[in-house]
Amino acid sequence: MFSRTVKPVMRSAAWRISLWATLAFACGTIMVFIFLHRFVAGDIQRRSDAWLSGEVEVLGDVAERTPKDALHDRVVGEVAELAGKEVPNRQISESNSNDSVFFLQTGGDGSLQLWVGAGEGAPALKAIQALSIVSDHPTDLHVQGFGVPFRVASIRLNDGSYIYLGLSERDELRVLRSLRLQFFLLWLLLVLFEFGIVFFTTRRMLSHVRRIAEAASGIGHSDLTARVPTTGERDEVSHLALTLNRMLDRIESSMHQLHTITDSLAHDLRSPLTAIRGKLEMSLSAGMPAEQAEPIVSAIEELDRLTDFLNKSLDVAEAKADALRLNRISLDLDELLRIMIDLYEPSMSEKGLQIRLHSGGPLAIVADEALIHRMIANLFDNELKHLPAGCAVSLRLKAENGAASLILEDDGPGFDAEVSSHLFERRVKGKESNGHGLGLAFVDAVVRAHGGAVSARNRECGGAQIAVTLPLSALDPRSAAIHSAH
Amino acid sequence: MRLLLVEDEIDIQRFLLTSLEEAGYQVEAAVDGRAAERLAVDGQFDILIVDLGLPDQDGISLILKLRQLGVRAPVLILSARRSVDDRVRGLEQGGDDYLTKPFALAELLARLRNLLKRNSPSSTEATRLQVLDLELDLLRREATRSGQLLQLTTQEFVLLEYLCRNAGRVVTRSMILDQVWGMRIQPDTNVVDVHIYRLRGKVDGLGQQPLIRTLRGVGYVLKDR
Repeated sequence: MFSRTVKPVMRSAAWRISLWATLAFACGTIMVFIFLHRFVAGDIQRRSDAWLSGEVEVLGDVAERTPKDALHDRVVGEVAELAGKEVPNRQISESNSNDSVFFLQTGGDGSLQLWVGAGEGAPALKAIQALSIVSDHPTDLHVQGFGVPFRVASIRLNDGSYIYLGLSERDELRVLRSLRLQFFLLWLLLVLFEFGIVFFTTRRMLSHVRRIAEAASGIGHSDLTARVPTTGERDEVSHLALTLNRMLDRIESSMHQLHTITDSLAHDLRSPLTAIRGKLEMSLSAGMPAEQAEPIVSAIEELDRLTDFLNKSLDVAEAKADALRLNRISLDLDELLRIMIDLYEPSMSEKGLQIRLHSGGPLAIVADEALIHRMIANLFDNELKHLPAGCAVSLRLKAENGAASLILEDDGPGFDAEVSSHLFERRVKGKESNGHGLGLAFVDAVVRAHGGAVSARNRECGGAQIAVTLPLSALDPRSAAIHSAH
Repeated sequence: MRLLLVEDEIDIQRFLLTSLEEAGYQVEAAVDGRAAERLAVDGQFDILIVDLGLPDQDGISLILKLRQLGVRAPVLILSARRSVDDRVRGLEQGGDDYLTKPFALAELLARLRNLLKRNSPSSTEATRLQVLDLELDLLRREATRSGQLLQLTTQEFVLLEYLCRNAGRVVTRSMILDQVWGMRIQPDTNVVDVHIYRLRGKVDGLGQQPLIRTLRGVGYVLKDR
């Protein structure tokens, strides 16, 4: 129904909230996993260490008890090979040879006596000697030619020889790697899932807030009957909507009261004014001698001034309360000013004043035509009444930052120092003024009602300056709200 | 011309009745919507004057109801309200007119004439206007007085044309502002008067019979006799 300015998703609050929530969640889950990972890795190592320590003792026992004959090496070798098949966390190797376990016996002089395992024993022996393993406790050993380190337990036999049992950490690392991979996938899924949930719930929540804001900003000068949408739930957002609506009820009721008062005041005063004026006009019959007609004529003129004063007072009162009713249409400010100048120019030149317009061409604004007419007439009347002969009035009209800027300058005496600080208030007028002091208050009221601004000051080179800015178009209040939200 | 006046304020009704009859209308008056309905349906009226603030119903509702009942006569709406509401604008676009209180009688009469003229089958638009020895050529935008060409600006010509079209009838300052400059404002300075003085200076030359008369407190009239 109405064109909604689509906000880029990445600039919405829901996006930011979801990002931060997801970041926190992701960090938290990673920390939990690191803890779990360390626990699992430690446990796996403890198990394989226990196995290694047990097996190396058994093997040491076997090696010692087996007579040192030709069969010794073979018996020990077979026992070692058997032990290798009972490795914990064992993965069935692609090749038949068991490359996850090695058994190594050194002689008393440190030479290689027996090797059971994949490949040659020499690199393993070299690595062991480089590390000079002495304790019973299993340690890590990097053997040249193997990508994965071995866990090695050792035992010293009575004859001074050593038995080493090595268990590749490959299987242990594989278990941990698959654990990590599975965790990562699960973590990714969870994080995405969590992001989705947070994003959609906050977006839903915030879309209520946005709808409330849109509706609230749409409730402007002219339309106070609308209300912000409420959700059926009993949460903070719906509480906000209800509070706003109650506030709008009160505003509408006081605004309505104000309109009723001004309308009935206007009506109650205008009806007798109409009757009086009518009767005066009728008594002013044709052919009446001038001296008889004079008091009637001046009474009619007084009456018209009174009417004008009444109209302006009520307009200013309503505008001060932001309750001026506008009927906006598109109009060309440049053309309007030219017509106004055409109307006022003879009176001005009669008084010895000059008026000149500097305009950059047609300038369309969306405004209440009658009010703009009266506003500019007020400005011109003001100049006409207060400028001494020989002065010049200059008008500059241009478009500036999406607003029409109208600057009215004269080279007259300027504003009285004592009134210049509150020029736009009601009933403020210079000492010499014989007006009713509503002119500039009315100008200010009209400009404000259109969402513009007006300022007045004395120029440094002498004379007064009044600057009026009016928005070029009546901004869609919804998009205005979104603009200001950024 | 039969005119129906719907106005609840007795004071206003009384002086309107008198002045409208003086102006040559046959007037019937009603003080509320119900009476107005009855009268409007029975009598054939050429034009209606309806006040917006009636005691029993809203003036706009009355007009809309009368339209439904087949009353086609144009309506001059009188309003003491501050703002012209959208429904009045709607009626205005539909060929009716409105006037805010208080008003000058001259303006009321002028608006009635305009409404009647608008609603009568239009005679062929004149290309020349003549008032006594003042002649206006509307095509060439030229004015002559006793055969002498007048040096008028565009705006002065439009003003003179308006006065000529209403020759012999009073036009008020607000009527001039509305018709010639297209704005409903009430300047508290003599802007209209100065235009008239200037025009008078050009139209009523030395030794000529003055045509443009000022009626103080009321407005101006271009003499046609």
